[in-house]
Amino acid sequence: MPSRIIEWIDQRFPLTSFVKHDLTDYPTPRNLSYWWNFGFLAGIVLVLQVATGIFLAMHYKADVALSFDSIQHIMRDVNYGWLLRYMHATGASAFFFVIFIHMARTLYYGSYRAPRELLWWTGQGLLLLLMATAFMGYLLPWGQMSFWGATVITNLFRATPFIGDQVVIWLRGDYTVGDATLTRFFALHYLFPFLIIGGVLIHLVALHSVKSSNPSGIDLAAKDNIPFHPYFTIKDLYGLGVFLIVYSMFVFFLPDSLIEPANNIPANPMQTPNHIVPEWYFLPFYAILRSVPNMVGGVVAMGLSVMMFAFMPFLDRSRIPGGARFRPFYRLQYYLFLLDMLVLGYVGYVHPTDQTILVGQIATLCYFASFFFVPFISKMEERWLIKRGLPAEVMTLMQSESLEIEKRKSKHSRRNGVKS
Amino acid sequence: MNAFLKVALLCSFSVYAWGSEVKLEKVALENDVPAIERGADTLMNACHSCHSMKYIKYRDLLTFGMNKQKVDGWRGDQSLDAPLLAQMSESDALLSFAKVPPDLSLMTRARDGGVNYLYSYLLGYYTTAEGVTGNHIFPETKMPDPLGISGAAAPAQRAEIQGQARDIVSFLAWAADPHEAERIRLGYYVIAYLMVLTALLYFVKKQIWSRLK
Repeated sequence: MPSRIIEWIDQRFPLTSFVKHDLTDYPTPRNLSYWWNFGFLAGIVLVLQVATGIFLAMHYKADVALSFDSIQHIMRDVNYGWLLRYMHATGASAFFFVIFIHMARTLYYGSYRAPRELLWWTGQGLLLLLMATAFMGYLLPWGQMSFWGATVITNLFRATPFIGDQVVIWLRGDYTVGDATLTRFFALHYLFPFLIIGGVLIHLVALHSVKSSNPSGIDLAAKDNIPFHPYFTIKDLYGLGVFLIVYSMFVFFLPDSLIEPANNIPANPMQTPNHIVPEWYFLPFYAILRSVPNMVGGVVAMGLSVMMFAFMPFLDRSRIPGGARFRPFYRLQYYLFLLDMLVLGYVGYVHPTDQTILVGQIATLCYFASFFFVPFISKMEERWLIKRGLPAEVMTLMQSESLEIEKRKSKHSRRNGVKS
Repeated sequence: MNAFLKVALLCSFSVYAWGSEVKLEKVALENDVPAIERGADTLMNACHSCHSMKYIKYRDLLTFGMNKQKVDGWRGDQSLDAPLLAQMSESDALLSFAKVPPDLSLMTRARDGGVNYLYSYLLGYYTTAEGVTGNHIFPETKMPDPLGISGAAAPAQRAEIQGQARDIVSFLAWAADPHEAERIRLGYYVIAYLMVLTALLYFVKKQIWSRLK
């Protein structure tokens, strides 16, 4: 009977072929390390955020006079409302934590390189959507930090040429952050996760067309690819268990560690808090914003700092596979870059003094310099590595890859020749 | 770039060393019902005339396990479902202090330093040589010394006031997060469950991967 039902469905919908193509026959490199778990984890966190968020929205009131009280209603009176809210608030941090590791893995192993550029760029788009969603969600509790954070960030759009003031009013729906801002942020905060789900589907379609990269950076022969199910479903589930333990520790024992105390004071447009800080995941970018003395320059630098990662497929000109694994200079650069991010995060967190501003400016310079020098260093490193001699398997791949590139080039020029 | 980063790191560490604020006294809270009830009692006498706790209802105190007679005494003829609003109206408070005293429901979570800040603040009053009362922790405060610590010289009296401050802070910490005890209890179960589940998943993973040659 079940086989007949499946047959009935298969004649109308590609169920079996879908399961085959994307799960039971989907070839996955068997040497993937646990760093490859984080994409799956990001998907699970997205589901958790949507699920808790929908239930929170049933009890939340988007109205400047009611929203702060409605959060307290959720925390005190709604059955397990405190659990929903802490899961959602911790989930936002968990989402960024998982995504940052996911990105760091891509950068370390050079997974953004051909043919995975579109995969990387769709991911970049998802990061922007995630940042927008998190930013708008942070306004909803209508605490002091919510209000002043939204005020500071929407104010940045004054840097838009010619129509800056109008853009800010258009975004806020008012001259200041107020009821109109709160209701539209709530509406968009509910909408954006669904755009993210759409983006994730595109990201997965791209992934399933180019397949996963792997730590060796070499496209593996068929014998080294294993089906996604059951090998990686179980590996991902085990990783999920570990992740959920850490997540639960924050949800149940340290839920306030990620909430600024000032956000437990209702928003007061007449009183600026001593110290306006964004959530931890925005700190490095916020430090870059503050490091540029000119406001327009700061906004441009901050925007660029988030977008720089998208240029990596063009900047990294080395054909040595395996990312940082076989490339000592790139590896050094990678770790220095992570260190620089930590310094920027710290600078973004503290109250600005002359010293921290200077540190922030140096760190900002290092941030952009590390991207700027990638093309030169990667080319030099490639020459140096080839002179020094690479492992045989890496050499073989490089030769086949350069052939590919030559083929593509000649195809391109031929096509252009026909056109002209 | 490496050298720059080293300088940057060194600078940031030295900045960190400067960033010390007023030192807060550490308070060890008690979260049993008698201590929190004592705290509520002191708060009703010393704070409640000016400060409200609008997210707490009298019924919440009963549900938590406080003495029914005490709660009835505090609420007078108000309903059990009435919130703990200040005895003084906000307009009267504005007239007397030029500022409405803040609501205390979330106070332990609305200040950097949390419970330690509140405890230190309550005990931070002192009398200057000119006979004016000041506060070490929050010098701009408009609140008069509620527990009378600035006038207490005898060690026994000071110890008693410290106990009162601890009880008040214990009560406020409960009020700011009434589900805390339940949350922590549930947390142990959830994490224990997840650990067993993860261990099982690990063994299943090993089992499945062992099929590969």
